Amino acid sequence: MAQPGMLSSAAATARKPVIVANDLGIQFKRNRRHRRSFKDLFAESSRRARPDEFWALRNINFSVQAGESVGVVGRNGQGKSTLLKLVADVMIPDEGRVSVTGGVAPLIEITGGFVDDLSVRENVFLTAGLHGMSVQEIENRFDEMISFADIGDFLDTPYKHLSSGMRVRIAFAVISRLEEPILLVDEVLAVGDRQFKEKCYARIDEMLASGRTMFFVSHSEADLLRFCTRGLYLDKGKLILDGPIQEVVDRYNADYK
Amino acid sequence: MTEVITPRRERSVAQRYRHSLWLLTKRDLQVRYTTSALGYVWSILDPLLMSAIYYFVFVILFNRGTLIEDPYIVFLMLALLPWTWFNGAINDMAKAFIRESKLIRSTSIPRSIWVMRITLSKGIEFLLSLPVLVVFVFITQFTKTPAHIRFDAVYTPLAIVLEAVLIVGLGLIIAPVVVFFRDLERAIKLALRLLFYATPIVYGIAKFDKHPLIKHVLDLNPLTGIMSIYRGAFFKGNLDWPAVGIAAIESVIILVIGIFMFRRNVRAVLKEL
Repeated sequence: MAQPGMLSSAAATARKPVIVANDLGIQFKRNRRHRRSFKDLFAESSRRARPDEFWALRNINFSVQAGESVGVVGRNGQGKSTLLKLVADVMIPDEGRVSVTGGVAPLIEITGGFVDDLSVRENVFLTAGLHGMSVQEIENRFDEMISFADIGDFLDTPYKHLSSGMRVRIAFAVISRLEEPILLVDEVLAVGDRQFKEKCYARIDEMLASGRTMFFVSHSEADLLRFCTRGLYLDKGKLILDGPIQEVVDRYNADYK
Repeated sequence: MTEVITPRRERSVAQRYRHSLWLLTKRDLQVRYTTSALGYVWSILDPLLMSAIYYFVFVILFNRGTLIEDPYIVFLMLALLPWTWFNGAINDMAKAFIRESKLIRSTSIPRSIWVMRITLSKGIEFLLSLPVLVVFVFITQFTKTPAHIRFDAVYTPLAIVLEAVLIVGLGLIIAPVVVFFRDLERAIKLALRLLFYATPIVYGIAKFDKHPLIKHVLDLNPLTGIMSIYRGAFFKGNLDWPAVGIAAIESVIILVIGIFMFRRNVRAVLKEL
């Protein structure tokens, strides 16, 4: 799995890689908004050649060691979130592969698993369960999650009656308590009030301190510099630069500011 | 406040699949039964109301034809309840991915679970609706034509398995395709309405000798064989093994096609969501 050419430094070979991307590539249709209709199903064969496909990512190679914190840098639509989704295994690459050793806690669309009609309590058990926690594990951490989200009085309230801030808080509390060694973060820190944001930062610091690996997508230079040691710079679907975060951020600023 | 990451008890892929499937099914049932006081009533109201209508039309209005058997209410419900499962599940398959797109975009649960969970939760709803049938069987005991359970009732689990295989197979085909062709959802609703009358539900096939051609066409419908097993539990001469054989072969073929098509389409579905 490990590529001999890539792991050059002695430090890297000492630890084992937990995320390895090999020639990763994924294709998209250019005008995805254009929905095809049932009628097109019959017309399809005559215009099978699809000229409007493009590679959102191609020839992406990198490997992340356990305990590393990697920030993905790039403008909108350059494949940052797509890369994160490939690592999270919620999208399947068209070329190459990405192998992830160990469990993943995806902080991507964190409120996705929550059901409007069910209570907060039921939702916590459901979402944590879907991410692989057993009932026992959830019960052990339940109080911790609730106090972190600070919504003690709303435990039996249907999720739909919570304010949008509370929804994000409980979702973050649940996903960030998954005891997974790899953390994937996509722009979630942009929400919530400042007090909660501070709490999230503290929680991420805490998780990094305990040796977790983090893969981080953000537009915030401050966040990137604060949490990450290494950066990946994506542009036009290619990996332009893979190096220390400061270097990567400087290069990005030089290109686009 | 540092913590040590304790390596989680490793669970096998199959265990995780079962765990997630059960959680999602439980979620469906919770939403169905606990969010309104009438939860259970809602789930049986549809077949109950339809039974009342068909009873009125065929027994009272048309003074029963040659194709129905007494007690009609039991005869009807034996097929209508399984049909409600089939109909509800196939209708939901059209929304299997679209409705859960946020969850699918954020968790790496095996994708076939979205088809399995609809089959399972609708199947459990079907099993929970069976007490209604028992009630009607009990009521007929006080009429001129009481319903009696027959030995063929032991084959009912076979009917449930065949129906589940058929639903999963169709679901694996339908669920991904609807993501690309959204208007297919309407076509499915239309097809289901046709299929309802092309399946022995409001009528039976036991006395179809006068129309051998129609009987042959009906036998091609996998639901015909499946319904014949359900009906056989109370009505003599309904269990039709050749039709069951056709149903079994067709269901398995559809399942194989479904698995193949699902594998081919899932990559594109994830991009489209």
